Amino acid sequence: MSESVLDVEHLFWQVDGKTILADIHFSLPKGQMLGLIGPNGAGKSSLLRCLYRYIEPSSGKITLFSKHISNYSAKALARTVAVVQQDTPHYFDLTTEQLVTMGLTPHKGIFDATTQHDRELVDSALTKVGLTQHAQQPYEHLSGGEKQRALIARAIVQQPQILILDEPTNHLDIRYQIQILELVASLGISVIASIHDLNLASAMCDKLLLLDQGKLIAKGNPTAVLTERQISDVFGVCCEVNQHPQHAKPLISYFYGYQTNNRVSQHND
Amino acid sequence: MINAAHTRYYSVLALIVLATIVTPFFAASFGAANIMLSDVLGVMTSLLSGNNDASQSASLSQRIILELRLPRILLAFVAGAGLSLAGSVLQTVTRNPLADPYLFGISSGASFGAVVVISLFSQTGIFAQLFDGALVVSSLGHQPWWSWSMLSLPVGAFIGASLSVMFVVALSGIGRTSQVERMLLSGVATSFLFGALTSLLLYFSSPQATASVLFWSLGSFAKASWSQLWLPTVTVSMSLLIMLAFKRQIMALQAGDESAHTLGVNVAKLRLSMLLLCSLITAMLVASCGGIGFVGLMIPHTVRLLFSGRQPMILTAVLGGLFMVWIDVIARCLLGNQELPVGIITAALGSVFFLFILRHRR
Repeated sequence: MSESVLDVEHLFWQVDGKTILADIHFSLPKGQMLGLIGPNGAGKSSLLRCLYRYIEPSSGKITLFSKHISNYSAKALARTVAVVQQDTPHYFDLTTEQLVTMGLTPHKGIFDATTQHDRELVDSALTKVGLTQHAQQPYEHLSGGEKQRALIARAIVQQPQILILDEPTNHLDIRYQIQILELVASLGISVIASIHDLNLASAMCDKLLLLDQGKLIAKGNPTAVLTERQISDVFGVCCEVNQHPQHAKPLISYFYGYQTNNRVSQHND
Repeated sequence: MINAAHTRYYSVLALIVLATIVTPFFAASFGAANIMLSDVLGVMTSLLSGNNDASQSASLSQRIILELRLPRILLAFVAGAGLSLAGSVLQTVTRNPLADPYLFGISSGASFGAVVVISLFSQTGIFAQLFDGALVVSSLGHQPWWSWSMLSLPVGAFIGASLSVMFVVALSGIGRTSQVERMLLSGVATSFLFGALTSLLLYFSSPQATASVLFWSLGSFAKASWSQLWLPTVTVSMSLLIMLAFKRQIMALQAGDESAHTLGVNVAKLRLSMLLLCSLITAMLVASCGGIGFVGLMIPHTVRLLFSGRQPMILTAVLGGLFMVWIDVIARCLLGNQELPVGIITAALGSVFFLFILRHRR
């Protein structure tokens, strides 16, 4: 068993008497990719937000490198955990390069200039995500996939030990979905990503966490989590799970025709 | 493409540096008294070479240049620089391209604070009339480098400005998605509120106080003097330093609150301190030269057009300063025998500019 970089114990989060997260516990082993799956509103984004301290849980314990998360300063936390968010807000007037350079923020003190070494770091991050050509272009002019890659480049510049991605593959075509997750996996750091596409999660992640209505339903390797029974319980769809011809992890084939027996409606939120 | 952009950047930069060097000389040669550029050059060179024996034979033009025009040019420069900086930082930390100290209600809050001080505590004010001049305030004729009255105006202005900032922040709710519109509307509402309070105070003030407040609130550098230059200068330069120190954090706020948080920025603290810093700048400038609007809107936008994709704070300040000096020159020269308040000119230019931005935002 390799050492774990992140431990979550008995995590609860309630808002106005409503429980959003209930008794979540898991740990992230070093260098592994953990996939967070579950239907809309399951609490995936809320859980991730707890992990980068954007929201404070009602109770529970989050430990990063055996140090409690609230003992980190804002900067130290940002040097340990980098985040690529789901919706990128509107940036006015920034080039791609400037956006990537932002990743230096937690590493810089007052008046620290951007050094030659920093520039090389930014350049190499841009090369890694294949955006060198677009460095001087306005970030706003990039395509969806390129924007996502630029944000990953920013996270690389942040030099974190843990990378958190909130639905990094949303709105991307299948080529970019695979490309982005493979890129993240190739970085060799510990990753937590929420992923909608179960087949993609199965193929790319070492471990999966299945959430439903704020509760942890299952955790473990894809074969243990992605069973026909659990998918039908949580997502309300019938499917058949086989072995993928290439990587031998679960491959899910969904069945169709729910309109007649109306089972899909209860999961539409 | 990159090279062309660089060439353009450096040529505009060179132009601005050149303008900064020649502006004091040219600006000092405009005004009511007929002073030639050569006179200015003569006075400046004798000043710079330490040739101070001129004090005995100080000619009229020399005194006008040294005692009236130079402090005035400097004050205009400091005011322009400060307002542009405040506008630029406000636009960034609130992610609102239309933010400006004036539109945000900070100026009217500061004006209200200053008017409270003028109408209640000056020698023509309500308190002085009540106590029949019991409050001794230094006369305008000779101004010492330090006096209570000198500081009470900026302090009053700062309290008013901070109040208006709190108001706008409370009304618009930081972190909402529709923040751009809400903040602008809250700013307008705050502006009206403090404007109404100011009018109320003026209604009960003496005619002299009203007249002086009215002229002052339109904005003018006519009262500039060496003895009162240090306060706005120190405020603006210290603020510039602080803003430069936190430039990365300020830039990170552009990416949204949550992104900035993940980059290690303490968002709420940074935004509040930057808002307060902007209101401090605005308050000092309102106290020393009245309400001058729209500079904080026009200059940062022009800089963004000229230097797209860069956030040059120092350049914004310098460009704002230069702009203000020349607006002041226009204010001195437009009407043959009297001065126009600069606030009128900037407001006229600014409102057109505002419409221009609105049109191009969609």
